[in-house]
Amino acid sequence: MKVTFKIQRFIPENDTKPSFKEYVVEAQPNTTILDCLNDIRWHYDETLSFRRSCGHAICGSCAMNINGKNGLACQTHVQDLKSGAITVKPLPSFPIIKDLVVDLDKFYEKFNKIKPYLINDGPVPEKERLQSPEQQKLIEESTTCILCAACTSSCPSFWADDDYLGPSALLKAYRYIFDTRDTSAEERLSVVNDKHGVFRCHTIFNCNEACPKDINITNHIAKLKTALVTTKL
Amino acid sequence: MNIKFVPGDSGMRRWFFQRITGIFLVVLLLVHFTIMHFIGTGETTYQTVASRLASPLWKTFDLAFLVFALYHGLAGLWVVVDDYVHKDGWRIFIYSLIVLGGALLLALGALTIITFSPQMLTTVKM
Repeated sequence: MKVTFKIQRFIPENDTKPSFKEYVVEAQPNTTILDCLNDIRWHYDETLSFRRSCGHAICGSCAMNINGKNGLACQTHVQDLKSGAITVKPLPSFPIIKDLVVDLDKFYEKFNKIKPYLINDGPVPEKERLQSPEQQKLIEESTTCILCAACTSSCPSFWADDDYLGPSALLKAYRYIFDTRDTSAEERLSVVNDKHGVFRCHTIFNCNEACPKDINITNHIAKLKTALVTTKL
Repeated sequence: MNIKFVPGDSGMRRWFFQRITGIFLVVLLLVHFTIMHFIGTGETTYQTVASRLASPLWKTFDLAFLVFALYHGLAGLWVVVDDYVHKDGWRIFIYSLIVLGGALLLALGALTIITFSPQMLTTVKM
């Protein structure tokens, strides 16, 4: 079947502002949006730019705004979308580098702020640091984040304040703060207890809607708020 | 680090006390609605309200209502400014309005509740 795509284009050398361009491709109902974009780039318009890597919803490269909803192009099928033209835009609220490619430098800066790595100055054990199943369960869901930025880009608090840490960085903060093998929870709690931190979250749930891994991000952020109120108030 | 916002707290206390006052407001509102619409005489006249406001218990109830509602609402307004007003001058101006307006409303409300006595009823009648 023929599928029409309306893709937001922006080439900084030529354009002053983004505009839409239409493409018609041949696709099956179970064709992914990423395959359609590849088809367009390989056969119709080689100037179209987008990020992609694994194509199997684990690298997080191809997050974009498809028919108004953030998600992974490789995980969204033509049949998942309403009939009619499919509108593809870059992730909202990030600076656009070209077409569907956005500048994520600041996003990663915030990610680094919460120190996204294990900190434990205790003696290094001979084998791995063990956890009980219950301890692992605490952080299991939060470890499935693939860092695609779909959540942060969907968050109205982030739209209003681009210095806001955002759901992605806060989820990662949770992942280490509640990790029983990590000893730097206090330091990370101070980082998220900032004027651009966890209390800019107003429980809007957009991040949950956007997450391609179905992580209940809002719930994890709420637990961070509770942890702060019970330890620092 | 680029400091864009003026008052620099994280908003933890506002967040927490807005939730606490929210819970109290639900309880107080339920009591209010029950008394006004289900248990009461059905008619709201100056007399019924005045006689109720004469008791210290109701004065305390209304004072609590006043404090919780003011805090809850103004904390919400403060958060809106935190989110959407990015110019330092405007932020200071609106924060000042919130603090001054809140203080004024609290003073006026408290004055009305505390000094009210049923004798005022007769004064009005004369």
